[in-house]
Amino acid sequence: MLRIVASASRPSSVSLLSVAHRRNLSSTSARQADITLTVDGKEVTVPQGSALIQACEAAGSPIPRFCYHDRLAIAGNCRMCLVEVARSPKPVASCAAPAMPGAVVFTNTPLVHEAREGVMEFLLSNHPLDCPICDQGGECDLQDQSIRYGSDRTRFHEIAGKRAVSNKDLGPIVKTSMNRCIQCTRCVRFANEVAGVEDLGTTGRGNDLQIGMYVEKMMDSELSGNVIDLCPVGALTSKPYAMQARPWELKTTESVDVLDALGSNIRVDSRGVQVMRVQPRTNDNVNEEWISDKTRYAYDGLRFQRLTTPLIKGPDNRFVTASWPDALAAIAAGLNQTGAKGNEIKAIAGHLADTETLVVLKDLINRLGSDNLASDLEGKYGNAPPVHGIDVRSNYSFNSTIAGVESADAILLVGTNPRHEAAVLNSRIRKSWLHTDLVVGMVGTRADTTYGFEHLGEDAKALEKFLSGKVKGEFAERWAQAKRPLIMVGSSMAEHADGEAVFGMLARYVAATGERIVREDWNGFNVLQRVASRPALYETGFVPSRAATSTTPKFIFLLNADEVDPASIPADAFVVYQGHHGDRGAALADVCLPGCAYTEKSSTWVNTEGRSQLGRAAVPPPGAAREDWKIVRALSEVLGVDLPYEDLVGVRDRMWAISPSLVRWDGLEGTSLEVAKAGLGSLMSNFYQTDVVSRASVTMAQCTRAFVTREKTSLEGLGKEPLQAHA
Amino acid sequence: MMLARRQLVPLVRRVAPSISSRSIASDAVSPAQSVAATTPTDVVPVAVTELLTAEVISGAPSELRHRAVRVYQPTRNTMQSGGAKGERWRIDFDILQGGGRWENPLMGYASSADYMQGARVTFKSQEDAINFAKQQGWDYYVQQPTVKRIPPKNYSDNYLYRPNKLRICKTK
Ligand code: SF4
Ligand code: FES
Repeated sequence: MLRIVASASRPSSVSLLSVAHRRNLSSTSARQADITLTVDGKEVTVPQGSALIQACEAAGSPIPRFCYHDRLAIAGNCRMCLVEVARSPKPVASCAAPAMPGAVVFTNTPLVHEAREGVMEFLLSNHPLDCPICDQGGECDLQDQSIRYGSDRTRFHEIAGKRAVSNKDLGPIVKTSMNRCIQCTRCVRFANEVAGVEDLGTTGRGNDLQIGMYVEKMMDSELSGNVIDLCPVGALTSKPYAMQARPWELKTTESVDVLDALGSNIRVDSRGVQVMRVQPRTNDNVNEEWISDKTRYAYDGLRFQRLTTPLIKGPDNRFVTASWPDALAAIAAGLNQTGAKGNEIKAIAGHLADTETLVVLKDLINRLGSDNLASDLEGKYGNAPPVHGIDVRSNYSFNSTIAGVESADAILLVGTNPRHEAAVLNSRIRKSWLHTDLVVGMVGTRADTTYGFEHLGEDAKALEKFLSGKVKGEFAERWAQAKRPLIMVGSSMAEHADGEAVFGMLARYVAATGERIVREDWNGFNVLQRVASRPALYETGFVPSRAATSTTPKFIFLLNADEVDPASIPADAFVVYQGHHGDRGAALADVCLPGCAYTEKSSTWVNTEGRSQLGRAAVPPPGAAREDWKIVRALSEVLGVDLPYEDLVGVRDRMWAISPSLVRWDGLEGTSLEVAKAGLGSLMSNFYQTDVVSRASVTMAQCTRAFVTREKTSLEGLGKEPLQAHA
Repeated sequence: MMLARRQLVPLVRRVAPSISSRSIASDAVSPAQSVAATTPTDVVPVAVTELLTAEVISGAPSELRHRAVRVYQPTRNTMQSGGAKGERWRIDFDILQGGGRWENPLMGYASSADYMQGARVTFKSQEDAINFAKQQGWDYYVQQPTVKRIPPKNYSDNYLYRPNKLRICKTK
């Protein structure tokens, strides 16, 4: 139900207020009617129940604001958004006033100016004049708006000086400078509504109002980095990025995140050859406006532990640097020497392998006569075809779509902790839980999810009991009546001893309930992947055949495979590692080939819904590292295998041939309705360190100490020294 | 010849979500042939081959032919509320692998051998941007803008009565 509601001529106004789902945030009842009002002489139509500020925006009259935010509740406490409404005795705060039919609004009159100037004067009277040393400088709402509404001289002559507020320690991510706070309470509303940290709040009144955690406590949330974006001034800034760069020095590149399987849209800001920070990009289909702290702050891991030149393991088990031709020749020699044939040639794809490279590597291995295409799933599960099969896409995808989660009225979590596996998706569940009467049930290890849930048990037996309807309780009752029930199975289930049973059980249940869970307008069976490469892996068919499962490999190609179990690699096998970090995988290898990290290549990523998105290179790779698919292509040449493509266009043609949806970037293909198959703990124990990039990151190590192992450390001094880059 | 081929083949095809279909799976043909064999509607229209592109006479280095530009609408900076310039379309170049950038060993300045790294051209509409890229003879691809869905919001929602258990205690 995508309604076009604004009749104003500005093109963007069309999309601003359209209503996507029937059930959404505000529960004002009569939404059907649209109302028409006049803003600055322009007629505009908005849905009933909109705020005046939304109407002004739709009419193309932007309103200055500090406290209003599109994705948070309305607070109405900064008063910067004052407008004049005909026949109203006073200026009206446009965010807190509803748009009324027939209202005549002016946003640009002397009265409005004067009112806003007054507000600005009060705000500035207690705001320090430290813009030159403030990290927000250059992208500060207060700075920008004071250019227009600020006075050039002060009437502030307090003898006691400006208000002083002590800084708070919110953890290794958020740096505070509370003197600068203008009490817009955006951070409080974010913590309350989105992150679920209900102990960030306000104390005191009036001039003494302070933001803080009430007691000495850190802000323990995977989404805490977002308050830095929200804060309209420099009160909350980024600790790892403190004093590192100014926004105008940065080159921005719009790309896609790969540190979880959501495919959050990000903007990579770089200076020279370094990634300086990662910012979210708004996309209401995926990550709204939020990204997790790992996405935001693991980038410093891209500077450490990098593989910069090809390495060959010498006779004394030490790596020596080599040239590209030598390294490739060494691989060809190794393959010859081991005499690996057919399925003895094995490829293992890891967490951060991109789709292009997967396709090229699969073609190479297949043409060498092998079907042994494993992945680095937990334990030995990667060596066999996954229990859910890969022939039907709905068996391993998030079929309800990420945005669709908000329309579910009962959610059953099976063996997953979405808070860790997809932090941004978790915030959507919380949003829906707060604003609708959604109920959540969970089978699996108990976890703190930021919303209430009914724990139904720990193991597959509990699941069976629930599915067979033998459980009594509020959740079971509501589940039975739910119109849009949603089952969310963690990808860890495919790597669990009971995985087959669990998927089997769920598949039978889904089939038995007929139209209830899977039907034309609703597919409530979801697998939540937690690793960026897996959906692409399954989509391209990068899984071993049954026959290959039992073969002992003699030649192993590790593509970004760092979670692989060293015990599963035979001692006499010849191992090649291709990737960007010298981590576990590289340590096992005989030859290392340096590839690009996700900020250094323009490649395709498929997220857990099956949405394929195109990343973009922001910085060049360090040293002699090369784009991954080109490395595999060059290797094929040395191995004498003929691959039918030479350039990126060719590779993407090949991807099209495999699955057209892989190159329909940003589009989302619907999945078919067919579902063939479908203690349960989440395998993710430490949210902050799950892959090579986050393991190499200093910030993520700090977060682990602060929030996972809870060591008492002094966080002072963090981020004071600029980190040295690899180059 | 080279020129004609490039006119036909943008680096990647512009694929809108609503795209119809492309018929062949090009397993062993080169990209040029594969495109010539089909006529997908979303590829640069054939008429454009008539266009005399700027690069023919502008003296621009021939290396530019091997690079692609992205046509996109930059998303709003999440650090700020203002939406100005949000409707413009932008063209910029993909970075060069390898020698595109390095840090000056003496001063630590950023150095670059890529003369297009700073080029960033802004347009009023997507069509303008695409047209410009065509006229320059650049390979381009289009990143679709994201849809924004903001529900109507109301101050009174803060005080709505909800039956059942209280789910949030606001600390504001
Ligand atoms: S810290 Fe920033 S976001 Fe929070 S209330 Fe103060 S100004 Fe607003
Ligand atoms: S934006 Fe309206 S009062 Fe703050």
